[in-house]
Amino acid sequence: MKMKYFKYIYGLPILACLLLVSCNKDVLDRPPLTDYVDGQFWRGEDDIRMYANSYYTNYFNGYNSGFGVDYTPVRGYTFSDDLTSKNAQTSFESSVPTSRGSTLETADWLGAYAGPTWDFAWVRKSNVMLARLNDVAKPKITGEAFNHWSAVARFFRGFEYSRLVSVFGDVPYFDKEVSDTDLATLYKDRDARGVVMDKVYDDFKFVMANMRENDGAQFLNKYIAAAFISRFMLFEGTYEHYHGLDATKAKKYLEFAVEAGDYVINSNKYNFTRDFKSLFSSDNLAGHPEVLLYRTYDAALAVTHSIGSYQNGTEVVGVDANLVLIKSFLLNDGQVWQNSAVAGANSFTIADLVKTRDPRFEASFYDKALVPSATLLYGFKFASRDALTYIGKTYPAAWGSNTNTSDAPVMRLAEVVLNWIEAKAVLAQYFGGTAVTQADLNKSVNAIRNRPLDAAATAKGVLKTAPLTLGALPVDPAKDADVPDLIWEIRRERRMEFVFEHTRLLDLKRWKKLNNMDFSTNADYYLGPWVNVQTEAASYLTAANATARNVKVKKADGTIVTYDGTNAAAMVGYWMVTNAANRNAFTDRAYLAPVGQAQIIQYQEKGYKLTQTTGW
Amino acid sequence: MKKKLLLIFLGMFLLLANAIAQQITITGKVTSDDGPVPGVSIRVKGSTTVAQSSADGSYTINAANGSVLVFSYIGYVTAERTVGTAKTINVSLKTDAQGLDDVVVVGYGTQRKGNLTGAVSTIDVKKTLEGRPIADVGRALQGAASGLSVTVPSGEIGSDPVIKIRGQLASFAGGSSPLILLDNVEIPSIQLVNPNDIASITILKDAAASSIYGAKAAFGVVLITTKQGSGSDKPSITYSNNFSFQNVWKDLKMADVNGLKYTVDAAERVGVTTPVGAFYYVDRASYEKAVAWKEKYGSTIGPDDPTVFGRDWYVQGANLKMGVRTYDPYDYMIKEWAPTQQHNLSVGGTTGKTSYNLGLGLLDQSGMLKPAKEDRFTRYNASIKISSEINKYLTIRGGALYSRRNKQYAYTTNSTTADPWLYLYRWSSLYPLGKDENGDAIRSPESEVASANTANILLNYANVNLGSTVNILKNWKVDFDYTFTNQTEDWKRPGTRFTARNSWVAPKARLDASGAPVYVNDQGQVVSSTTAGAIAAYDLSMDMYTTPGSSPDHFARSATSYFSHTINAFTTYNLNLKENHDFKFILGLNRVTSTAESQFGQITNLADIINPQFKFGTGVQTVLPATAAMGIIPGGISIPGADKRWEAQLGYFGRVNYAFKNKYLIEGNLRYDGSSKFPTDLQWRWFPSFSAGWVASEENFMAFTKPFLNQLKFRGSWGSIGDQTVPNGLYISTMPSGQSSWIGANGAKVNYVGTPAAVAADIQWQDIVTTNLGIDATVLNNKVNISFDVFKRNTNNMIVPEEGIPLTFGAGAPQGNYGSLSTRGWELTLDFNHRFKNGLGINFKGNISDAKTRLNAYGSGTQVTGNYNGKDIGEIWGYRTDRLYQTSDFELDGSGKPILITLTNAESKLNAGKQTYKLKAGPNGEKPVYQPFLQNSSTFRFGPGDVKFIDVNGDGEISNGDGTLANHGDLEMIGNSNPSYEYGFRLGADFKGVDISAFFQGVGSRKIWGAGFLAIPGFNSADGAMPEAIAGNYWTPQTPDAFYPAAYNNAASGTTNNMQVQDRYLLNMAYIRLKNLTVGYTFPQLLTKKVGISSLRVYTALENFFTWDHLGDLPIDPESISGYSIWDQSNYNSGRTGTGIPAFKSISFGVQLNF
Repeated sequence: MKMKYFKYIYGLPILACLLLVSCNKDVLDRPPLTDYVDGQFWRGEDDIRMYANSYYTNYFNGYNSGFGVDYTPVRGYTFSDDLTSKNAQTSFESSVPTSRGSTLETADWLGAYAGPTWDFAWVRKSNVMLARLNDVAKPKITGEAFNHWSAVARFFRGFEYSRLVSVFGDVPYFDKEVSDTDLATLYKDRDARGVVMDKVYDDFKFVMANMRENDGAQFLNKYIAAAFISRFMLFEGTYEHYHGLDATKAKKYLEFAVEAGDYVINSNKYNFTRDFKSLFSSDNLAGHPEVLLYRTYDAALAVTHSIGSYQNGTEVVGVDANLVLIKSFLLNDGQVWQNSAVAGANSFTIADLVKTRDPRFEASFYDKALVPSATLLYGFKFASRDALTYIGKTYPAAWGSNTNTSDAPVMRLAEVVLNWIEAKAVLAQYFGGTAVTQADLNKSVNAIRNRPLDAAATAKGVLKTAPLTLGALPVDPAKDADVPDLIWEIRRERRMEFVFEHTRLLDLKRWKKLNNMDFSTNADYYLGPWVNVQTEAASYLTAANATARNVKVKKADGTIVTYDGTNAAAMVGYWMVTNAANRNAFTDRAYLAPVGQAQIIQYQEKGYKLTQTTGW
Repeated sequence: MKKKLLLIFLGMFLLLANAIAQQITITGKVTSDDGPVPGVSIRVKGSTTVAQSSADGSYTINAANGSVLVFSYIGYVTAERTVGTAKTINVSLKTDAQGLDDVVVVGYGTQRKGNLTGAVSTIDVKKTLEGRPIADVGRALQGAASGLSVTVPSGEIGSDPVIKIRGQLASFAGGSSPLILLDNVEIPSIQLVNPNDIASITILKDAAASSIYGAKAAFGVVLITTKQGSGSDKPSITYSNNFSFQNVWKDLKMADVNGLKYTVDAAERVGVTTPVGAFYYVDRASYEKAVAWKEKYGSTIGPDDPTVFGRDWYVQGANLKMGVRTYDPYDYMIKEWAPTQQHNLSVGGTTGKTSYNLGLGLLDQSGMLKPAKEDRFTRYNASIKISSEINKYLTIRGGALYSRRNKQYAYTTNSTTADPWLYLYRWSSLYPLGKDENGDAIRSPESEVASANTANILLNYANVNLGSTVNILKNWKVDFDYTFTNQTEDWKRPGTRFTARNSWVAPKARLDASGAPVYVNDQGQVVSSTTAGAIAAYDLSMDMYTTPGSSPDHFARSATSYFSHTINAFTTYNLNLKENHDFKFILGLNRVTSTAESQFGQITNLADIINPQFKFGTGVQTVLPATAAMGIIPGGISIPGADKRWEAQLGYFGRVNYAFKNKYLIEGNLRYDGSSKFPTDLQWRWFPSFSAGWVASEENFMAFTKPFLNQLKFRGSWGSIGDQTVPNGLYISTMPSGQSSWIGANGAKVNYVGTPAAVAADIQWQDIVTTNLGIDATVLNNKVNISFDVFKRNTNNMIVPEEGIPLTFGAGAPQGNYGSLSTRGWELTLDFNHRFKNGLGINFKGNISDAKTRLNAYGSGTQVTGNYNGKDIGEIWGYRTDRLYQTSDFELDGSGKPILITLTNAESKLNAGKQTYKLKAGPNGEKPVYQPFLQNSSTFRFGPGDVKFIDVNGDGEISNGDGTLANHGDLEMIGNSNPSYEYGFRLGADFKGVDISAFFQGVGSRKIWGAGFLAIPGFNSADGAMPEAIAGNYWTPQTPDAFYPAAYNNAASGTTNNMQVQDRYLLNMAYIRLKNLTVGYTFPQLLTKKVGISSLRVYTALENFFTWDHLGDLPIDPESISGYSIWDQSNYNSGRTGTGIPAFKSISFGVQLNF
């Protein structure tokens, strides 16, 4: 044992260390610790649910958040024939954009089309979910869970395609995640809308067959899904019908709308036993009998919105309810204003309107003229009665700025019954469907009209509107000749119910009534209610305005009185919206949005073709 | 054979000599090739006896028989002679011309300098680091080596300089920064190293030199080694210090009343005659008053005097504050001659077979923010190294290093886009600072900084290392080293609320006790309301103007801990065959694992703003910050928010060196590297590299050149490295997650997991391939060394966004290996040393290098301002400027005014229908060229005093065409924003203990298009601040030859109207700087020995003292990078050029002592 052996002894530990670290190759196995990795996710239902949660704020947007306006009432859906702004009205798109589209999930919507831009991120998201459910999660969950979550993914895919079709018509349909190397698929041309909507139909059928009826409160379930399905199937069914596209498909979709509506209505889980205003100005919608799904706002969690503040009596939205909309409201005897026996039926002062019209008028508009409204009729459907007591004072956070906390109804029974009754009526009218019965009306329109009134409304003398009876449909001199009486009344019911909400522009599109947006067809579009400017909007009567000669009212006989600084007392009549003028002329191509020039060129350069939207 | 005989003889002689040891007197003469050398220190090894050679080189010393004499002198190789029987020992010293036999530290070993084949630069540590008032090694490295680019973007203390090796950009997805190694262990910041601990710094530039370090070394390596124990039994104690005082590098001349004139001129140009400004207004009349004020009070009222209503400002109309007194924020914000001190102590020695080295360092640096309670950076360093030879087979070593850095600064805001420094340059000179006449502070950056609490970033870095060497055979050894590293970062931001006389809102009428208005005269004295000239007095309103809970009313803290384990194990085998064939083999492994974890907490609404603590917060708590903006800790391994990351790297490497007679040199490296950043199938890669050298001067046929050519070597190398600096999200499909704003039925936000990112199916590593060719020559008796390299570094398979993915993909185009770029450049180094016969030594060492990076593949874009194939990185496209329009260029109307016309199709096809002023036809009736295409504001029309551009393409219009390569109109490439021709050189001389050296550093070419108030005339003339260089030199009818165009408010745009990107106003950022000028004196050893001091040097140094640049009086530092600071590396102060902490110069004094 001489020194020369020692060196090996010294060397041994080092050698051992070397072996240890060198063999330990899994030292490199260090996946991200705080990021989920696709391949290692999808471990069970909890993972899948978290993935599904990321759909909610997009599809069940409610009042959006912060100052966000996309897909919101009041602030987002501002483009319709219900609303008029000062000066020229917002025009339809007039030229093909240089580029259009996005790959972001946060992409801006196209407000003038009330739908998404050329963006397939959400389609990809759903296709990824379906693929992973099938490829990864399936063995780890029960068959029931697999079917449910597949239904969730297919619901959102159908939702997205329904929206894309409503904006663009034909769109390329992808039923699976496309690889970046599969150019032939990525560059395929648009599929016909009927092809796409048949796929959507299949998705929705799968949803109805497989989604859970209850997946916990505030999570998507079959009732909520069915309610949305009734919306999209009604849209597509009536669109196909009124635009004369494909009668077979129209019938198929409308029947599905009825089926989905039946499912919700016949469940008897929801009813109209609370007043209208409670839907839009409650701090908490939990347990509201009419609401299938709502979005919660909570200041403590920093999730707040600004929709309430834009109806607080002070904020300016810029587009406000016009006389055409006012005139479309029924009197509480169930008649149109021309034929009503209600005292003051032909008065259009705000004070009379709130007392004589359908209660939803009082619940939707402030009972005094307010200057922040372009038409002086100020919407307050989304603000509580309390909110309006702060005019001229400091608003509480709940009704000022973007700190509002009223919960947003995402889906409520009223829409389901109105979708359902309209689908039924159209089927009966044009497709040989069963005739609409009085019982059908009682389940839908009349159920809505029978909502209780809140104390404040009752105190003002507001009365419930008389039921709609098949035998005695109102005779409306303003009715379009091509629309049957019953369908006309169903459409009116929608208009009264959904003012400021998501429906009007898309309704006009599916009914092929976009021409209503041409305000030259009716001078009432430029008018507000009947006002005495001196007492109701005195702040307009300034020297500067006298010089500018821009304060005007219109007498019943059509004569116009312009404020000249001396005739304040004569300023009584229909308020003329300041400098209001028609939007630019438009054609039928405005029904659908064009795709971007750059996208078309990109396809050309790669040897593919992207067809431009018809008319563009 | 002869040699062996000699050795035997000598050995026998020594034995004999030992036996009869006794003191004898030795005399002799020290000479060199240049003749006798005076001043040479002669020392008897192991004793205190010293002597010095006289003017003729002769010396006398007493020494024992058999003892060893050491002859040392700066600039010469130290010589040793053993005392024998001879009483005369003459010594001929060899000049120390960067000796070819010097040992250079390279990857996992050392190499004889003469045998280097890769592109390697060594730093002269002594000259570069010692005795400089420099806070860190990084700053000292500026200009010190060719191919090493160091930029100091601002005077922010405690910030890291920007270090790049060979080119500024090496890839889009990954980093471009070099790997910094301290004793083979990666360190997060070069700042944590105590400059005094450093033994050597080597810069590895090509792949052949750096590939042995694997995938982290793709962009070069800065290799730092620390000092070992000294060789002698007697401990060597070194103490040095430095006291320096820093000041703004140049007079920041901001406009005074001339700026007001500009503002008024700009307003009047667009027809505005009412007051303009931000908070304090100016119109023509008040401008005249400001001029009068200046005349009357300019020399008597200073920054310490309060602002007085009536005299210094008045109110016009309802509540417009009109200023007449001007202020220079510099007086209030800048602390001049801020002190800094540094102390270093080290002890080293060898006891028996154990050597040790202890180092202590202290840096205490003050910033220049005058009103701050605390603006300083401190660093404490401690290090220890021990090595012990247990027996001839085994040596063990250990060491520890500690570095504590603390940056303290005034916490006024968490905004990085508008911090207090921006306000040095934002509001007009009317904006008051200091106090009002009630003695209260006026709201200003000064008052906010003064009342701000002190935030601090504390970084504790420690490492412990253990290692051993086993000498299995004489020529075969195994080294094993393990290092544990820990760094913690603690960043506290205690906020406050601000209360001051609010200069941002309407003033309040001053009332007396009875509530009646108070009147003052034009000197601010209270007078009766009936006095002539009496005006109703106002005061600024005393407000707490921070909304409770809004920034900075909060306390925030982020804490990050980082630790790593590094193992380096390798074996080295030297093989010498038949004398001439030298082989060296290295085989080893390198394993690094690290984990970083961070936590963030913030609470708003402080109940106690004097002593802000987390516990006193009453508002909203945040644990995940909304933005990562505040997640960057200078010099840290910071990760934003609450997060945890880990990574590992494992590499096996081998190297073979072969030298034949030190003439033919070959080296090959191979590394097999794995990185945890990649998915399993991509984890492992081979990185080969080769280099070869030929020492031509050793060839027989070159013998004739020997007299003047001492060495001539040709080098060549090729190597490939992968790059792992890319974010791993490019390879791994990660899914975002967090809390949704959807609130569940339980009243809590639901968690969500988002869509997986799209990852390209076939993504690979980026490859960095370097080729290098070099020549080294030593000529003129080893006095001159020249080294020249040319290189090309390609980034192949560069990761860029995939092209041609349509929107239907549903996700952003994934990034893939579709791009490439290449950097080409050259480097030249030149050394010269000479010692004259009289003892005067002079030396020169300089380097210059250049690198250009060109994009070879990046999709198919052809926009000249975008990324197109063939683009040189940094290039600037702009218009060519002819001159300024003069009134005589225009058709004038009857009143002598230019005529506004609407252009017809015939006058300008491009601009038909647009308004502009009518130009005269050319002298021969040529159609004038109109420019309305460049009129970007509705009130801007090109008129007299505006910029006249050149119609470069001669189409009769000024435009950018399509902005594409095929049609770029009148745009041309007018410059490049990356530095080119970077150089540094040192001139030194020493004579009889006095040494002087001057170090210059510069950039030969760099252009930028400036942004913001300091570079763009009229950037925002309503806000009001501008350099005097602009305010005193803009066009008016009276100053037609001015450099800058007529006044116009560009409303915060730097690229519109007159200020289109163009050559006339392109900033030329080239400069040369006297970085350092040092004069030192080393006391004669004979003298100092008497008080027990081995050596003593005192010195004084000027740092950054003189700069020659092309920016005139603009207050912009030529080194500055727009938008870059430690707080925000891309949009600091909204990217406005020069608006950070000004660079500084300093003057310093210090002592270096060695016992």
